[in-house]
Order: sequence, then C-alpha cells, then structure tokens
Amino acid sequence: MANAKPPRTGNRKEFIRTQVPMAEYAAGAIILLLLAGIGIAIAIKGRHFNPDLYTVRTDSLSGTATAVEGKSGTVRETVAAPVAATTAPAADSTAETASASSTPAAAEAPAAAGGDEGGAEGSSAAPKPTPPGEPMEITLPGIKPMSPTEFYNSDNLYEKIDGRAPAYQGFNVVALRSRSFTVDAAAGSYVEVDEYRFDSPVDAFGMYALERDPKGGPLDFVPDGYSGEMGYFFRQGTVYVQVIASDQKPETLAVTKAIAENRAKVLPVDDQGLAGRRRLPAAGMIAGTVAYVADNAQGQSGLKDVFQAKYQAGTAQLPFFIMVGTPEETAKAWQSFQDFCGRFGKAEGLPDVNGGKIFRAQVFGKWKVVYQRAGELGGVFDAADGDQARTFVEKYLRGEIK
Amino acid sequence: MDLAPDAGEDVSRREFLLRLGLTTALIAGTGLAARKLWQPKHFVPGFEKEVGLQLRSYAPEVSKVLPSLAIAHGTEHEKTIRAAMDALGGMGRFIKKGDIVMIKPNVAFDRPPALAATTHPDALRAVAKLVREAGAAKVMIADNPINSPTGCFLKSGLTAVASEMNLDLMYPEASSFAPLQLEGEILKHWTFFHEPFKTATKVIGLAPCKDHNLCHASMTTKNWYGLLGGRRNQFHQHIHSIVSDFALMMKPTLVILDGMNVLMSNGPTGGRLSDVKPMNTIVAGTDMVAVDSYGYSHLLERDIAELTYLHKAQERGLGNLNWEQTLHKEVTV
Amino acid sequence: MKNLLKLRNVRRVAQVFFFSLFLFFVFVTDLRYLKGYPVSLFLELDPLVAFATAITTHTVYMGLMWSVLLILPTLLFGRIFCNWICPYGILHHVTGWLLGKRRAEERERIEANRYKNLYSLKYVILIAMIAAAIGLSLHGGTLQIGWLDPICLFHRSMSTVVMPALNLLLPGSVYVRQYFHVGAWIIGFMLLFLVGMNVIIPRFFCRVLCPLGAFLGTLSSVALWRIDRDPHKCVDCDLCLKSCEGASDPHTQLRKSECFVCFNCIEDCPEDALSFKFLPALKREVTAPMVPARRALLGSLVGLGFFAFGRTSGASDRNYDKKVIRPPGSVEEKDFLDRCIKCDQCIRTCPTNVLQPALMESGLEGIWTPILNMKIGFCEVNCTLCGQVCPTGAIQRVTIEEKTGTGPFVEEGPIKLGTAFYDYGRCLPWSMETPCVVCEEVCPVSPKAIYSREVTIIKRDGNPITLRRPYVDPALCIGCGICEHECPVTDEAAIRVSAVGETRSKDRRLLMDGGDVSSVRDLEKRQR
Repeated sequence: MANAKPPRTGNRKEFIRTQVPMAEYAAGAIILLLLAGIGIAIAIKGRHFNPDLYTVRTDSLSGTATAVEGKSGTVRETVAAPVAATTAPAADSTAETASASSTPAAAEAPAAAGGDEGGAEGSSAAPKPTPPGEPMEITLPGIKPMSPTEFYNSDNLYEKIDGRAPAYQGFNVVALRSRSFTVDAAAGSYVEVDEYRFDSPVDAFGMYALERDPKGGPLDFVPDGYSGEMGYFFRQGTVYVQVIASDQKPETLAVTKAIAENRAKVLPVDDQGLAGRRRLPAAGMIAGTVAYVADNAQGQSGLKDVFQAKYQAGTAQLPFFIMVGTPEETAKAWQSFQDFCGRFGKAEGLPDVNGGKIFRAQVFGKWKVVYQRAGELGGVFDAADGDQARTFVEKYLRGEIK
Repeated sequence: MDLAPDAGEDVSRREFLLRLGLTTALIAGTGLAARKLWQPKHFVPGFEKEVGLQLRSYAPEVSKVLPSLAIAHGTEHEKTIRAAMDALGGMGRFIKKGDIVMIKPNVAFDRPPALAATTHPDALRAVAKLVREAGAAKVMIADNPINSPTGCFLKSGLTAVASEMNLDLMYPEASSFAPLQLEGEILKHWTFFHEPFKTATKVIGLAPCKDHNLCHASMTTKNWYGLLGGRRNQFHQHIHSIVSDFALMMKPTLVILDGMNVLMSNGPTGGRLSDVKPMNTIVAGTDMVAVDSYGYSHLLERDIAELTYLHKAQERGLGNLNWEQTLHKEVTV
Repeated sequence: MKNLLKLRNVRRVAQVFFFSLFLFFVFVTDLRYLKGYPVSLFLELDPLVAFATAITTHTVYMGLMWSVLLILPTLLFGRIFCNWICPYGILHHVTGWLLGKRRAEERERIEANRYKNLYSLKYVILIAMIAAAIGLSLHGGTLQIGWLDPICLFHRSMSTVVMPALNLLLPGSVYVRQYFHVGAWIIGFMLLFLVGMNVIIPRFFCRVLCPLGAFLGTLSSVALWRIDRDPHKCVDCDLCLKSCEGASDPHTQLRKSECFVCFNCIEDCPEDALSFKFLPALKREVTAPMVPARRALLGSLVGLGFFAFGRTSGASDRNYDKKVIRPPGSVEEKDFLDRCIKCDQCIRTCPTNVLQPALMESGLEGIWTPILNMKIGFCEVNCTLCGQVCPTGAIQRVTIEEKTGTGPFVEEGPIKLGTAFYDYGRCLPWSMETPCVVCEEVCPVSPKAIYSREVTIIKRDGNPITLRRPYVDPALCIGCGICEHECPVTDEAAIRVSAVGETRSKDRRLLMDGGDVSSVRDLEKRQR
C-alpha cells in the first residue's frame, strides 16, 4: 500500500464520496427512468383488462336456451302403501284385514319386476295438465251440465280427491272424468258424476271393492254395484263410476238413479279377468267382503288373480277364495299348496267330490280346505272349524251353494 | 464500463474472452430453454382431448362352408373341446404356424376350480395343447382380476397350467396398461391391458359360463372386462351398455364357452358346490354374441329376453343372437 | 441533486418503489380493485419459481417467462434482486436498520457483517428443494420451494396473516367481512420470528435461509460486473463492512455469490478504494458459493426423502382425504403438488374466503396449498379469480365459460369440484319434522342438482305435515358448496361436499359418462 495512514476507529462523521464518475450518474439516471417506465406500464396494464374475467356475456348463455328434460324440481308422486307389501301376502290369518292392504301390494308387484337402469318409481315431471278429452255428455231429460268436464290423470288426481289418490294409483288408475249436472226439478240440487278409468276391469273392480260400503244395497242394472244413501257406485268395464247426489230430495235421488243407469248402459261391458269373481257364489256372501289379490295370495306363488269373500256359515264367518286358470296351473298350484301345508302343519287328502280333488290342512292353528277342479282352484281358508270348512267346500262342489 | 480508475492486475485477453463467452452462453442458453419450455396458453384440467390406441381385429375370415358355431357334449374337458374344434374345422383353421396366441381366461376371483367361478385349468390345458399342435410359436395368458392377481392365478390352478405347458403368464403391472380409444356407447377412453396385444397375432377368449347378480350372466362377451384397468367399479352404472361395448372393443379369433360345469346361482363369485351344475357342454365359435346366446338359453336355462347386453350388441350389429340361424354344428362325444 | 443519482441512492429509490409496488399488488388483489393489474408479477419474476416448476412440469407456464428478465441481469451484475427488488429483502433490510444497532459501536456493526459459515445453509436448503423437485427421475418430484422462497413466503404471510390482522384492527379496511384462515397463527409467528431475527443477525433470512438468494448467488458466479477492491488504495480499516448487507467480505476477496450489490461499501470507504468493475481479476474474489460437500449431500437426501416419504404416505393417491377440494381449474392432484408454490395468492383473491391453507389434509407435500372449506365460504359460480392470479398453473387460467360449461363449452359441461352428499340424520325435513330446503333454493345450476320429493308425515304431536325432502342429483352437482354453506345446521352441515366426482381427476370420478344417459338427452354428449 502506498499510503501509511493509521487505521481509524470510533464513531465519527460519515464519509461522503465526492468523486463520482460520469458513468455512474448516467447509470443512475437510466435506472430511475426505467423505474418510472415500469410504474407507468403497470398503471396502463391495470386499466386494460378483459371484461369477460368479471362478467358473464349474454351470448355465452346461448346454449341454455333449450330446457332440459327429465330433471324435475319437486317430485310429487306418492308410492302406494309400501308397508303393506311386507305383511299382506304372508299368512292366512291376515287375509280378512288385508283385503284393504293386500291389494295395493298386489298392484305393486308388477312394477317391481327386474329392470337394470330403469328407475321403477314412475316419477314424472311436475304434474302435467291433462289434455282435455271428450266432454261428458249425458242425454237425459231434466238435467243440465253445471260446469265444464274436468279431466285428471294419475299424477294430478290428488288435486281432486286428495288423500284418496294413492289408493287409486295403487290400482293403476288412468284418468278421471268428472262433471256435475243441475237438477231441473230441484233448484239448487246437482248430481256429480265421477268416472275413474283404470287399466283393466280387474283393477277397476279392485278399487271399487276397496271402497265398497258394506251397508250398500244391490243394484239390478249392473253386477258389480251398490247404492248408498246419496249415490250409486258401480263398475262397468274398466270404469269405476260414482254418481253422487248433493242432497236427499226425492227428485234429486230419482235423477241420480237415472244417470247411474244411463252410464251403466253407455259404458262398454268388459269383464275380462273377472272370471273368478263371477264364480264366487252369492249365497251367504257377507256384503262388502269381496276382495281381489293379484298374486301371492296366502303366501303361495302359484295363487294369482284370486277373488275371495266371506260367507256366513251358522254363527261363523268362512273366508272362501277362487282362482281361475289353466288346468295345469291350478293342478300344480294345488299340489304345491298341499306340500306347503304338509311341511308347516298337518295335511290330509280327502276323497274327490264331483270331480274336485280336495285336501284339508291345519296350519298355525287354522284350518283350510282346498280343492281344484278343471282349471278352478279354491276353498275355505283361515277357518276355526275344520269340519265346517269341509262341509262348505263339498257343498259348493256339488253345486249346492250358488 | 468501469466506474473507477483502473487499479490492480489486468485480466488477460484469454481469460476475458472465456468469461465473457461463458456468461453470454449462459444467457443465451437460459433464454432458449425458457422459450422452448414455454406454455403460453392454459388448458382445462380433466377436459383434455384424449387419444388412445385402437385394437385391430383378430377375427378370422368368414367361411361360407365351415360352421361358425359348434356345440359339443361330453364328459371330459379335452375330448369335448377337441370335438368342438373339430366340428369347426379344427384349430388349424384359426391358428397357423408361428402365431403368437393370447388366450384370455376369466380369472377374476381367487376361487378353486371346483366352484366354476374361473376358467377351469383343464380347459386351459386343452386349448393350449390344441393351439400348440396347430403350430403356435408362443402362447400368452393374461387377465386383470378383481381380487389380487397373484392369488387369483394361483388358486384357480392356472399358474400351475402355465408352468406345466410353458405358457407366458402376464400379470397386470402398472406399465402394462395404455389408454384405449373406442367409439363405444359408454366406453370411449379407458385404460387397457395392452401388453399382450403388442405382440399377439391371434386372440382366443376362454370363459366359464356363470350367473351374474347384476347383468344376469358372465360368459364370453363379459370375459373381456378383465382387459380393462382403472376404476372399473363405475361400470355398474351402465353395465349392459358397457358389456355390449366389449363386443365392439374386441374382435377375437375365437371364443370358447366352457359349459362343462356351470355356475347357476350366486354368481359371479359363487362359493358353494350346490351353485354348480354339470352341463357337460363346450360351445366354440367366432361370434361371441351367438355363443353367449346359446349359453344363456341352454346352459343357464333362462329366457334370452332378459339378457339386455346381448340384445344391445345385436342392435348395434356386433353379433347375431339367433345362433340357430347361423351355420352351426352339434356333436356328442 | 446530483446525490440522488449516486447508485446507492438510486437503490434506495428502487427499494421504496418495489416495496410500495408489492404492497399495492397485495392490496389490489381483490375483486373490487383487481382490474388488469399483474398482481402476481413478483412471483412471475421470481427465477426460482420458474426454474423449479420447469423441473417438475417440464414447462414454463405463461407469465413465468418474465423471470428471464431477472435472470439476465443477475448473470451480468450479480444479486441485484436481493437488495433492489425483493420486497422481503427490503423488509429485512428496513427492520434490520430499525431494530439493529443503528447508533451502536462501529466495531459491533463491522463484526456483525462478517461472513459466517452458517450462511452456506441456504445453499443446502436450495439443494434439498431441487432434489425434491427432481424426485426420482421418471416419476417426477414435488415442488416444495414455497416453504422458504421469499416472495411466496411474503405473499402467503400477507394473505393469511397481515391483511386479516389489519382488518381486525381497522375493520372494513381490507375486507367487507372479516376473513379467517386456518392455521394462520403458524404463518404469523413464522413471519415474526424471521423478521425478529434481524436483531441477532442482520438480514438473517436473506443470508441464512433464502433459497432464492442461493439460486441467484449460484448464477452470480458468472457475473461480469462486481464490487472490486483496489488493494493499492485499501488501508484494511474494514469500514466497508459497516453497512455491508450481504456479508460478502468486500474487505478481502469479495464473495460474489453473497454480494447484494447494495453499494453501501462504495459509499463507506474513506479511501475510495471500492468500485463496481467489469471483469476484474479472479484472484480478488471468491467466485462460487462455498458449500461443504457433505452438507450438500445430506441436503439432497433430505429433499429426496421429502418427496419419497411424502408420496408413499399415500395422501395424494387412493387414501385421498375427502376434504381436499381444490379450486376450480386446478390440475390433477399429483400435478398440483408439482406446481403449487404455496404463495396463497388464490386465497387472497377469493371473494368468499372459502380457500384456506391446508394443513395435513393433503399430506406433507400439501401444507399451505389451497383447499376449500365450505363452512367458511363457498365457490361463487361465475368467478375464476383464483386461476387468474395463480402464477404457476396449479390452478389453470380458465375462463368463466370453461368453468361453467357455457358458450362454446356447453358440450363438455362444467368443471366439478366434488359432489355433495346428504347426512340425513342432521337434515331438518328428513329427521326433524321441520321444513327447510334452503339447499335446493341456493343451488346455482339449472336444472338444480338438488331436487325434493314431497311427502306427508304425521308429526309427534299427531298433526300431519307436508315436507319437501331433498336429494342430490350427482350428475348435475358441481360441488360449489353453497348448499353446505347455507345449511342451517351450521356446526356440521346436513349436506357436505366431498372431493369425489371432481372433473380434474380421472381417478376420482363418481359417475361414468356424467350420469343417466338415457333420460337426459342434451347431456348425452358429455364425456365423463
């Protein structure tokens, strides 16, 4: 080192550099200008931006112009009494009480058949308004239409009959056509006519039987029908008809009856599937006990389309059922029923009567006597007295109970 | 640019140039590398356009003379399989000398052969023997089971057959898979067990005949499920469409349905001997839809109307359900 | 006036400028003010971010090209970034000046600025992080620079701690409604600690821990300009060390990799012996950083371990946590961990406070990466701000149309973050006889992903009540979480979003092909 100054220590005033080369000043100036430039550039960049970042352009929404099918908001379908499905077809003893509950279960069974992805719930969109059908025109003297005809389908039936709708849906109701008519002879009176169309005569019968009033009187113009205090209720073909008077004035009731007869005549007759029903003897039948079980009656897979009713035998009530099918079907079902009873109780074959093969069994304390004859299978079930049951069946087979 | 008067030693010219050069090179290198790797545009993750491989068809020529479906009844695997193949015109119709054959067994579960849930070792042995007799240079077997692969191959008895017959057993390792592209109904892009197909020249499907809880039956069409990887548990949402997609995905040389012992219930896993029924039949053919149609109606003894995926395959022109209308032959050993 | 143009003073101006710019960017990262400001500019300039993501993703994402603008001057002039531009460095510089021994004995200041061997630690840290990024060759690595990269750290501290704290003290100054961030206290104390350490060692973070400093220091080895000491003029008074920021030993052989080019030594030298020289002699400098080989090896093992042990813990594979719901536009999880630098810019800009720094939900590698917490917020449907500010493409810069599946993206459909699932035991109409369906009301998609079935029950008191009971349609649910957020059962909502069904990942799809193909004709073409 050229200079030999001693090292300096201790605090002292800052040393300030005075000899600064020109190049440094130039570099400093350039850098300051650069900083200013960066600041301006950022300010400009801040102002210019793509508005699509913050707002949605309307033409982006062009793809949403068409609605999407099959994705309804609130699903209002109601599934028919699922609880009954587990109890109804099980044991004989529940058959009487199950006449109301077994039927919806029966109707449910076809809907639950295997399907892979297809959701079987039958949920549709929010109830669509039913397109109007043919207005109900009744050509009879003394009445005038009071309102236009109302049309309902299965989904919006509840709007008319509220809590009764699920039961109707259980029987596959298709549509309701309803209209009221004023009675000329009685001012202020009117008659409401409700025609519920079902998908089959058997279903119409099932719903009719479910609502049947045991106190109703028989009708002479239609086989399945009864009269109530203020109306007439019957099934013709696939239609369950209710003709209801607004009051009990004799003129109103007369008109009500006339309308009922008119509908019974106008609506087509169709008794398909009701063969079993026809065969149920009328003698001794306790009114209002007829019921229909679509399948799995009494827990037997072979017992389908069964009609049953209760009969008065002395002081006891005997449940009696009939199934109509092919001879092979009924023979097979009868045999398997007998085997079943033998497994779970005591079963014995009885001698044939008039072409009918009979067995009697006691299962879980109740008696049943079951026959099969040329495509007809039936018998007494759930009876307390086995001999009484046998007598009834043998009399039926001999044609003594009609 | 010097900011101070020069002092100290000078830098030699050589050093100067070297250092200058090095820094310049680094600058240039950085710039170039960054430019090369630059990704100027974003992408939407999960929606990238996918590409995948496409399988070629391994199907043989259509013959107007020889049957395309053969049914053989017998009591022993080898004799019955031989009879079925002879009815078709012999294995030599399909396999030529030097072929590299991929046999696809169904090894989905680790079950013993007696439970009929997997391809029977005797069936594999017989087919491998026939293929070798026809002159195959190499025979591979591969499957991507649902249970663990090593266990499945071992307990189903196929590992033993593979070592006995010197077959090339390919396990489904991670590197064996590649994405497959397909114009399927549901299956469009899925990871596929590609390894055996890199070299295979002929493909034979060898499936047991089984009940299946979800899609009713697992036979030769469903067998190809074992070539897919990834999260197959999503398939159950559209199982019939996907199984019919398999008929599009794979055009094998030959399929053989082993109906010697049929899993009649509680499939596809089975588990009881009472689920198994000996039907003593082998069905072999070039159309998996026809073979399965026979299997469902005659071996599982059910109504063919139930088997949705076969109907879908038929509607899509991927096979013929009505096996009776095709050229077929039935023999008994 | 001429004093202003002296480079030390120009440096001070630059420090004020860049620090203010940084604060401006942080403040303006808000939907109200964001406009077009390049708020992630510092992160995009950060060369370590570009370099490390280039290793893990083999790409340089969009704006990261800007880092070339910083690498070039570093290769020429050395670590100018550390004292002129880096806002964290400026923070440490200022706090060191404020808290340090400003009027202390000259001798103490000189001793504090001598180089210590401890300062080689940052190179070991850098090596560990690069090793983790390289990982195990074919399988890639994991990006963990975010722990200690100064820009990432500072942004994260601002976003999760400083801005919310400021809003707590002056309500309404930063947010409309106070923001919360999970685990903010950890980040807060870390910031305090690092800043506070300047009392003990000046520029503690910059000298000891900063991996970006280490990276720039390595690049500085080939710089053509550096501070040079004229040995003829020098009297060995060591006064140049008095204010030396980088502890680069200008009094002997300058350590090029440590010098911050702050020009303090030039101003302090009473003999005017120091100058900024072009290509001075090699023997008056220490060219490359001094890193002990054993420590370097240990560092790389720790880095590799981080990757290997982190990945094999399975959190990013099958054992993924249902709570790891990533922002819309995020790449697949493993790629996400390759890209996320934990800068938490997305968390700062999110208008609903739904983005939160993760703790262990996504495993070791995912600490402080963003996940959605629907208790706190939800994902606004027509908002893509997080993707706009993400510098590395961990969240891609998707447009609103791409996110919602509108415009040209109608066929692809929307981005889904996950799927909502009901917890029926907690749901009012399902279990508590009480009507509700707020979830259905707020569901933003059309048709709604929540639909209800009307049912009439008999209540406990015997009266009937008609209730609407909600269900999720997983084909339509986009996982936005507004249902969970609005559910009145606020402790643990009766409907909760879970990560399954997210579209960014092939493994985590719930439904094939977007759902029921047959009944939704216009959704038929979706390829899910």
